[in-house]
Amino acid sequence: MAKEQPYSYHDALGLRVNIWKPQAQRSRLPTSRIKKMLEYEIEARRMLAVSLICTLCHASYCLFYSKISMASLDIRSLLVFSAIFRFILIVYGEWQDTHMEVRYTDVDYLVFSDAAALVAVGDSPYKRTTYRYSPLLAFLLIPNSFIHRSWGKFLFSASDILVGYFIYYILKLRKVPENLCNYSVIIWLFNPFTFTIGTRGNCEPIVCAMILWIIICLLKGNVLQSAFWYGLVVHFRIYPIIYSIPIILVLDPNSFPSHQKPVIRNWSAVQGERPKDGSGWHTLHNLFKSIFTWNRVIFGLISGLVFLFCTGLFYCLYEWEFLHEALLYHLTRTDPRHNFSIYFYHIYLHYGHDTSVVEKLISFLPQLLVQLVLIFCFAQDFPFCLFVQTVAFVALNKVITAQYFVWFFCLLPLILPWSKMKLRWDGLSCILLWIGAQTHWLMWGYLLEFKGKNVFLQLWAASLLFLAANIYILVMIIRNHKYASVFKALEYANSKTAAKLE
Amino acid sequence: DSLPTPVVDSLHHKQISPINNFFMQSYYDRYKNLHDSDYENFLSQEVSSGLCEPDNLDFVLRLSDLKRNLTGEGSHRTVSTSIKFQIKSLSELLSYSCEFIIIERLPSGVFADPFELQHLVQRGVFSDIAVFGDTNLELPSFMSNRSAVEIHLVVDPNVLQRPTDLNIELPLHARYQSLNESGYSTVEFGAPDMLARCNTKEKVENPYCFFKLEKDGVNLYGPRIVWRIPSGIKTHANLVSAFTFIAASLSTLAIVVSSLYYSNS
Repeated sequence: MAKEQPYSYHDALGLRVNIWKPQAQRSRLPTSRIKKMLEYEIEARRMLAVSLICTLCHASYCLFYSKISMASLDIRSLLVFSAIFRFILIVYGEWQDTHMEVRYTDVDYLVFSDAAALVAVGDSPYKRTTYRYSPLLAFLLIPNSFIHRSWGKFLFSASDILVGYFIYYILKLRKVPENLCNYSVIIWLFNPFTFTIGTRGNCEPIVCAMILWIIICLLKGNVLQSAFWYGLVVHFRIYPIIYSIPIILVLDPNSFPSHQKPVIRNWSAVQGERPKDGSGWHTLHNLFKSIFTWNRVIFGLISGLVFLFCTGLFYCLYEWEFLHEALLYHLTRTDPRHNFSIYFYHIYLHYGHDTSVVEKLISFLPQLLVQLVLIFCFAQDFPFCLFVQTVAFVALNKVITAQYFVWFFCLLPLILPWSKMKLRWDGLSCILLWIGAQTHWLMWGYLLEFKGKNVFLQLWAASLLFLAANIYILVMIIRNHKYASVFKALEYANSKTAAKLE
Repeated sequence: DSLPTPVVDSLHHKQISPINNFFMQSYYDRYKNLHDSDYENFLSQEVSSGLCEPDNLDFVLRLSDLKRNLTGEGSHRTVSTSIKFQIKSLSELLSYSCEFIIIERLPSGVFADPFELQHLVQRGVFSDIAVFGDTNLELPSFMSNRSAVEIHLVVDPNVLQRPTDLNIELPLHARYQSLNESGYSTVEFGAPDMLARCNTKEKVENPYCFFKLEKDGVNLYGPRIVWRIPSGIKTHANLVSAFTFIAASLSTLAIVVSSLYYSNS
């Protein structure tokens, strides 16, 4: 190992616990200090949660009740301000890493960096155990070894800001009023969950940026490019595979004609309007009527080829290690250790026993069914569909860690302008419920992991509560959403121009 | 300023301990898993056969006190070992440079994280360290093999004359335990084995000369460490499975119904 290693424990608390002793202090670490540090980590999480509440409340308050003019807060100053803020955080992180016992940098970042260092000298990144990502990530972080070790953090934070800009761009494309765009961007850029994840060195912002870029490509009718990025993002992080069906559905020949750009519906046109087209049976009917349209075939072909090319290339380079660590591990992961998932205790209690096919099916079925129904209902309201799919996917997954929450945080601002939910009190109660249920879980997790108390049953019950909170919030969001298909249906658009001409 | 001086003599470390020169490596070359009987046979065969110089360490120094303690709470704890030597001949000792090797055979319920330990080596806490056996952090105890940790300490003989003990703190982590009715399983540690490899400072080293520091007649404090680790309770199985699947089904139903209802209303 070329680099320092932290006291790293796997993400048994949902988050990885990382504790660090600065290199400057060359001494053994007393156990009392280790304990103290763990407590700090918990405290830090608590503070993070509180600041999350504050920021979300503040942002949402501004969103709905503020009388302050937003003219002064344009998107450029928002992005510049958040870039400066992230830069300061990265620099501060460096300081904390060398001067304090609790390390700011994420443990995973050290894993990526080690893997990148291995790649830089021509080795396999999988020689670093627990590196379970595509080699692409290690390639991206090669400059960590010869420019600066914070290179990756800058890269991730840049993607994070890019996500902010993409949110603005998508909302603008859909003709959302400027101030609503800005408030939505604020919810991403100044969400403590978001800015800490990038600056601590977590790679999820890159995935988020890719997902949003795919949405932009689709909105602009650029199927070829969206297919390329989709193939890449599925190779990079398998979970976006759940978006494949809604993408295929949204490439409906009725709204997405083969050789012309689709027409995006205005935000204002949807307000107060009942959905006329695009949902459910209509979509399904269109799917079967013309499943092999030019756009669908191109999308499937290109994304499939990109995925196979990347996977094939890295299989040639790193063989089974790559397939096992980067792909099969994530597909077959069943973790008996405690995490936010309701399944963890069941998995632990049955670990090592052969699970029957029926049992596997029972746990897989809810997730599959929910995905299919959500796609069936909301496919044409494409960003909303992706959001609810992701929330439901994470909530019902067999393993849930805190970084998974970023997957839907990046899509949340895309749906807020269409929500009828009032901040006072529905919105606020949702936020408080979510944070409360999570904090409650963390408390039991702390008692189990750091106090050695047998609270498996309570912790599992807390997972059930957290699931209930997630589902309640999801239902509230669905209930208060103004359904709006992203594109105008062709006949509708045509008849309108016809009417205009008349 | 209040920090203790590192015990490791980095100057001698470079001369004596070539990387990968681990005692346990040769054990694992011969045996697949760690079994106490295999290990003890191996140890008695490998330890000094009289061809080494010095041919006996007993007249130079021997163990006098061995204190063992488990500190911390929960799944991440530290086993501390503090050792006191009885120096028989100081002049003789000063003419040697010694590397101490501490072999900690871990019970199957706990593991040591090799990356974490490597970090300690870089900070100069240990001269060298290696973990043998299962180091997969995610496996529960009933699916994993036992592992052994080998710690190398190159200690300056001048440090040994000080009245302070030699302290070794080894961070360990609990694995998930097999199911148990009482809700806790107990993991017990025996005393570690201690070897020394000494050479006169002028002579070329002989890496195969190990001496076992005998524990007979040593004042042992807290020789058996007991770690209680929470374990899943088997009687929960039916209840947990039933409610897990009920919760998953109800959640599914809630999402399905609300999606179908609100997407059309």
